[in-house]
Amino acid sequence: MDKILSVARNDLQVTFRDRSVWLQLVIIPLVIIFFIGLANGGFGGDGGSPHLLLDVFDQDGSALSTELLANLKAANPNLVLCPADNDADDVCRLDDAELTDTLAQERVTGGVTSAMLVIPAGFGEQARAGQPASLIYRSQNQIGETGPVLQALQAEVQRLGGAMIAARVGVDVFENSGLMGASFADENDRAAFDRQLYETARAIWAELPPAVTFNESAAQEGRQPSGFSQSVPGIGTMYVMSTVLIGSLILLQERKQWTFQRILTMPVAPGQIVAGKMLARFVMGMIQYSVAFGFGLILGVYFGDSPLALLLVMVAFTLCSTAFALLLATIVKTEMQAASMLNLVVLIAAPLGGAWWPLEIVPQWMQAVGQLSPVAWAMNGFRSVIFHGGGVESVIPSVLVMLGVTAGVFLLAVSRLKYE
Amino acid sequence: MHNGHKHALVEVRGLKKTFKRKDGTVVEAVKGIDLDIYRGEVFSLLGPNGAGKSTTISMLSGLLTPTEGEATIGGHSITRQPLEAKKLLGVVPQEIALYPTLSARQNLEFFGRMYGLSGSELSKSVDEVLDFIDLRDRHKDRIDTFSGGMKRRVNIGVGLLHKPQLVYMDEPTVGVDPQSRRRILDTVIRLKEERKMTVLYTTHLMEESQELSNRVGIIDYGQIIALGTVGELIQKVGEEDRLIFSVGEQQISDAVLERFRTEVPGITKATYAASEFTPVAGMEESAELVVEKRSTGTMRVARSGQVLDGEITVHAKRGRKALPELLRVADEMGVDILSVEVREPDLEAVFLHLTGRALRE
Repeated sequence: MDKILSVARNDLQVTFRDRSVWLQLVIIPLVIIFFIGLANGGFGGDGGSPHLLLDVFDQDGSALSTELLANLKAANPNLVLCPADNDADDVCRLDDAELTDTLAQERVTGGVTSAMLVIPAGFGEQARAGQPASLIYRSQNQIGETGPVLQALQAEVQRLGGAMIAARVGVDVFENSGLMGASFADENDRAAFDRQLYETARAIWAELPPAVTFNESAAQEGRQPSGFSQSVPGIGTMYVMSTVLIGSLILLQERKQWTFQRILTMPVAPGQIVAGKMLARFVMGMIQYSVAFGFGLILGVYFGDSPLALLLVMVAFTLCSTAFALLLATIVKTEMQAASMLNLVVLIAAPLGGAWWPLEIVPQWMQAVGQLSPVAWAMNGFRSVIFHGGGVESVIPSVLVMLGVTAGVFLLAVSRLKYE
Repeated sequence: MHNGHKHALVEVRGLKKTFKRKDGTVVEAVKGIDLDIYRGEVFSLLGPNGAGKSTTISMLSGLLTPTEGEATIGGHSITRQPLEAKKLLGVVPQEIALYPTLSARQNLEFFGRMYGLSGSELSKSVDEVLDFIDLRDRHKDRIDTFSGGMKRRVNIGVGLLHKPQLVYMDEPTVGVDPQSRRRILDTVIRLKEERKMTVLYTTHLMEESQELSNRVGIIDYGQIIALGTVGELIQKVGEEDRLIFSVGEQQISDAVLERFRTEVPGITKATYAASEFTPVAGMEESAELVVEKRSTGTMRVARSGQVLDGEITVHAKRGRKALPELLRVADEMGVDILSVEVREPDLEAVFLHLTGRALRE
């Protein structure tokens, strides 16, 4: 073990003797994190709250549909109903285009908006009559996955439905039980009574604790995901991969300058030398993560409530990258080959796995392909903690996948290792 | 193994190494070497580049697995008990195998740890080595700020950290200036005399072998073609001197060589060799070339077909005694002798005798 630690310590010493390491480890990643973070929404505009764009087609135009939309907006201050809420800054990102059904669908698919909502004609009338009424909601979310917009909508529909049921029950009871010895004078009297019960039920609903969890968390300043919540783990993960994979290049350099062979002539098992070198790369990967997330903290990025879960994802991904570094070292023959392969692997795996942008905004088939990249599993883990408030249990599937890949790749690399 | 009162520290039996090329052909780099290296001796493996010296030393240090055969160090098999064998061994590779951005001390400390040293034992050993290689005052300086000779000294120092019984030095003077070379050779002598270490020294320079070695193995095309002390090897060529007469641009006829052989006692062989100016492809037949005359160092213009420099080599049992007679015959034949060099028998001659080629070819 002493010799493994000595090899690792020496590797780190050699690495940090080269001043250019700070460029790769700190300066370039932080600059990229900053600009990619800005591109992804930065600090989130005023107060750090991101806009949730919802394209709305109110084909009904009834009082009920108008009320639904008003309440929906009230339930979530970040929600921007387009095109109605568009402003001089083009918050709806319409760029003067007329919002059509086709355009709205494209905007959902392209990730411009969170969702689109169609309120069909007759919605209010049907709802009032107690007949089945439907709303059309389209988003990029998976079935069973509820985003903040859908949560707000569901909560509002629930309130609306509850209030209408309460009103209907009240009217039926009044009519059928002869309560208070009275009956409705005419239909207007009946409708007014129905309206009064409905308003009362709505008022009672409004006093209940808000059902929209997103709104609840957004109300806490500084504890809400921003553009940097994507760029810090994303670019951090990309640079961890790059920093660790450089280990394959270092092994080649050591062979070239003959220090690797010299150690092989000493009373050290070859496995100890490789283990020491891989340990050094693992430490470099963890340092890289610390730099990225440390920068995120300086930027005030909210990383969720489970540092342990984040740490587990970081350790699993860095181990996975270390195994790939060893495998790469058994494949490449020259430093040029190593550098080219490194660039190729990182520049494919990082965007494919959602390091540059959320995977939710790419087409379904790309999302499926993206899962082949270990970066995707790391990002799944990070996003479940940062964006969905998950804990250790939420990252376990991602961590297990990465550890499984690590074991497989490591065994393959060891079987290919040649010391001559 | 014992040889009289000598004990073999290294025993090599039937050591072979073959490499397979990409085109499928097999290259036999070492074709079955048998060798004993005795405790306390400097053993040179002398041979031209590509003879198999480095492959042999790589197998003996555990870097390459022999295709066939066996080697032991202090009774430990280098293939079956590599860690035990390597504890007795210090390797000084031909390359400067150091971390250029680390200081001399940091390099020595790291490699010392790889030899299993730690704590005060490591510090003491590093200090001793720095004193031995005379770099104590530069121990904090980065290796990439050192001269070539200083790097070579640190390279040697690394192999001495754990006070090994045996040191392999693979062409340690390659690419160094004469002063540094002298210093390295003195270091080898001190290792033998002061530290009583056994040294396996590979070189293609017969002067180094001749100066340092108790015994020499001459290696060529992967085989040891002669083995013994310098004296024993020289006896193989019959102790003939070589007299080299520089004749410049003169054309020497066979008649002159014939008179040397028949009229001067003790002459066994006389040959003439000259270099001519031959225009290369694309050059005019009448081209002229400014050349430096090797014999006099002066510059002149040569034309196509002209002799640039020639020399007569005469092999004689007692060269110095035959010299006056040879000069007399040359004078009678009208040959103007520009300079004479008498070369006593050496390992170069042994190699030439055994292979028909010069070591440096």
